[in-house]
Amino acid sequence: MKGKLEPSERQKLIEEGKNLKEALTTLEEDLVKLRDELQIEAQCIPNLTHPDVPIGWEDSSKLRNMVGSPRKFDFPIKDHLQIGKELDLFDFDAAAEVSGSKFYYLKNEAVMLEMALVNWTLTEVMKRGFTPLTTPEIVRSSVVEKCGFQPRGENTQVYSIEDSDQCLIGTAEIPVGGIHMDSIVAESALPLKYVAFSHCFRTEAGAAGTATRGLYRVHQFSKVEMFILCRQEESDMYHEKLIKIEEDLFSSLGLHFKILDMATGDLGSPAYRKFDVEAWMPGLERYGEISSASNCTDYQSRRLGIRYRPSESPSTTSKKGKTNLAATKFVHTLNATACAIPRMLVCLLENFQQEDGSVIIPHPLRPFMGGVEAIYPKSR
Amino acid sequence: MALQCRLSGATFQSLKLATIPISSSSSRFIFRTLPKTLNLALFSRHSAPKAPPFSVLIRNLSAPAVAAAPAAETSDIKVVKPQWNAAIDFKWIRDNKEAVAVNIKNRNSNANLELVLQLYDKMLNLQKEVERLRGERNNVANKMKGKLEPSERQKLIEEGKNLKEALTTLEEDLVKLRDELQIEAQCIPNLTHPDVPIGWEDSSKLRNMVGSPRKFDFPIKDHLQIGKELDLFDFDAAAEVSGSKFYYLKNEAVMLEMALVNWTLTEVMKRGFTPLTTPEIVRSSVVEKCGFQPRGENTQVYSIEDSDQCLIGTAEIPVGGIHMDSIVAESALPLKYVAFSHCFRTEAGAAGTATRGLYRVHQFSKVEMFILCRQEESDMYHEKLIKIEEDLFSSLGLHFKILDMATGDLGSPAYRKFDVEAWMPGLERYGEISSASNCTDYQSRRLGIRYRPSESPSTTSKKGKTNLAATKFVHTLNATACAIPRMLVCLLENFQQEDGSVIIPHPLRPFMGGVEAIYPKSR
Repeated sequence: MKGKLEPSERQKLIEEGKNLKEALTTLEEDLVKLRDELQIEAQCIPNLTHPDVPIGWEDSSKLRNMVGSPRKFDFPIKDHLQIGKELDLFDFDAAAEVSGSKFYYLKNEAVMLEMALVNWTLTEVMKRGFTPLTTPEIVRSSVVEKCGFQPRGENTQVYSIEDSDQCLIGTAEIPVGGIHMDSIVAESALPLKYVAFSHCFRTEAGAAGTATRGLYRVHQFSKVEMFILCRQEESDMYHEKLIKIEEDLFSSLGLHFKILDMATGDLGSPAYRKFDVEAWMPGLERYGEISSASNCTDYQSRRLGIRYRPSESPSTTSKKGKTNLAATKFVHTLNATACAIPRMLVCLLENFQQEDGSVIIPHPLRPFMGGVEAIYPKSR
Repeated sequence: MALQCRLSGATFQSLKLATIPISSSSSRFIFRTLPKTLNLALFSRHSAPKAPPFSVLIRNLSAPAVAAAPAAETSDIKVVKPQWNAAIDFKWIRDNKEAVAVNIKNRNSNANLELVLQLYDKMLNLQKEVERLRGERNNVANKMKGKLEPSERQKLIEEGKNLKEALTTLEEDLVKLRDELQIEAQCIPNLTHPDVPIGWEDSSKLRNMVGSPRKFDFPIKDHLQIGKELDLFDFDAAAEVSGSKFYYLKNEAVMLEMALVNWTLTEVMKRGFTPLTTPEIVRSSVVEKCGFQPRGENTQVYSIEDSDQCLIGTAEIPVGGIHMDSIVAESALPLKYVAFSHCFRTEAGAAGTATRGLYRVHQFSKVEMFILCRQEESDMYHEKLIKIEEDLFSSLGLHFKILDMATGDLGSPAYRKFDVEAWMPGLERYGEISSASNCTDYQSRRLGIRYRPSESPSTTSKKGKTNLAATKFVHTLNATACAIPRMLVCLLENFQQEDGSVIIPHPLRPFMGGVEAIYPKSR
């Protein structure tokens, strides 16, 4: 239409142009809707799976390693609830009135034990080059989703705050994952290794039955969490390093536990591979999960928008002397529980109970508890 | 019936009652209905104007009628039934109304004493009427037992029926009246210690000052800048992940928080307090019973969606709830708890410069002291609590002043409140780091915490049967042992060095693996 035209020709072109514009607008709207729908559907696709992961459900999980063996008791043993009652360490009844079921107060030595566990764990993990953090426990629901959790829906584990887009965290993995949201990290900064202490809140909706006694399943608990952001080629290696740290921590405390390579049906969308640690809880007469270490490869980073720019190689410098920036890649993220307090308390109380009703404190924790060696029954 | 409430400063006029003499047969109390539901704005405990905690609408009351006319429809509006009842001594309020009125005025409370007294009077009258009618109904029932002529019997049956209907109506009215009386009376703030200065914040009286502002011979920084240079916190990432007034602590700040909590707990335990950690999600009724307002425009309280639960703003709430609805043995008192928890506050309505960095945040760690004691001892324990705080903060080397807060700044539950304000050189101000309140029986009347005094020999009757002494309400007190963020502000700003490092106070070092200072990291 830029050239010289007869009026009738021009008119025809204007018509044609108008039709094209309308058709284009409609198509562009359709494209947006299609992209949105594609996005929603595609985001349901779970992460890939490490080739060594067993296929199947929980029963198919493979034993990687077992440390220690169940302690032999020569007296009738108690579960942690009874021990806690006799040593005046917790109160579930008052908490049920004040807050509801699966809430509790810790009292007396249990408070000092929680603090010692957190303190010791942070110290040990910091020695291995992790940066200590405390985190917000209220986060935007979008961040929860980007980490692979579902804040909305019937059986959600996530508490939401009224009249807001905010939620309570179920794990420090969420606020730590969010730290480098929507950013490009220099390759030289990797790996970024964080150890975060936070309180965690879970609705435990849908969890019922016997596996909910006492401290085993609660709505609120303290947890020390490890989180790594690294280059793609290194995530398998850091997964091994994380599980090794856990093994060292739990061995130091004298626990007996097994490490499982979780089967595909038990992975959850974000995890490429997941190792669970199940510790022996003699009072509950079962192995109970005390820790989980997941390699999420780029599942979370694609959602959180965390990239790194590989260092340039000399060959990318063009003849004109202008350096081409290497294309960014998505980091890989990993997370692993260093210490989840309630189940750790179950393990310590049940494994280290004595015939006289006292509980021995593992040696590594004593300096963090003012040197206390045991919890003794109080005379009445 | 009149309802006075305060919404962001506006006050509705109280409506006058048109009272109709009781003897008329179809009398009723008539009120002008308000055009819409009153949504009462509820403020945090520490702001002065406060409205009753429930939506209350004006409604019709049918009069105590002897004869036939049945109760009219209580048409469009109903009183919301209180979820729980504080054990209020209405008789005492009536017998001491001048003192109560003065107290309400001094605290700038919007409680309506006149209305409470009116409702109480009406309730007493209505109770008498109900009893009278009950008596008459019993008479009729007795008469019907004897031998009667059919027409007489029929008349009695009629009379009995009418009395029963009238009684039912009156009893319903009595329930509603009690509910409304309860709601109004619960607005009445606690009494005030005679030594408390009257007025607003400016009238607060200095009790004591410890130390003096440190003299710096180099230009000083505020805690935000110190934190940035020493890589101790991150507000920016938290703003993206959570919103403003959230933060991550990093590196030595994490160890410092843990050392502060650990040291504080240890020190307070030495003084005979039982250590606790508490739930941070509680039922909203417990929040209310402690004197806070979970609902309403400027509430400090976060609520959980689809539930009656809230996040705590202080461990005072879950600790107050431990002995809810129970009778404690006198020999168990005093009960002294020191509780560590995270605290969550919306800080709605707080704006301006007093919100920088760690000074005002939505989430923080806090160690709180809580005492339940006998009535005669609360003043003494209040002094003990403030002394503990003084000792703690002096040990850390802080400079601070202790204020006896004036009536306008007390908040409903507190009989007396001491605030500690520490010097924050980087912010160039004294900032509140702690508060110690004696709530006497305000909370315990709501939480239902009583004690049974030990029996004295004289109560044993001749038959050898021991009379149990009447229960009394405990007194409760609470005091901040350590609120982490503002403590961090104090430590960083006061102990900064010219080379950019920060010295750790001696008492904390053993709890931080012996670390003596936070040094700038080489880059």
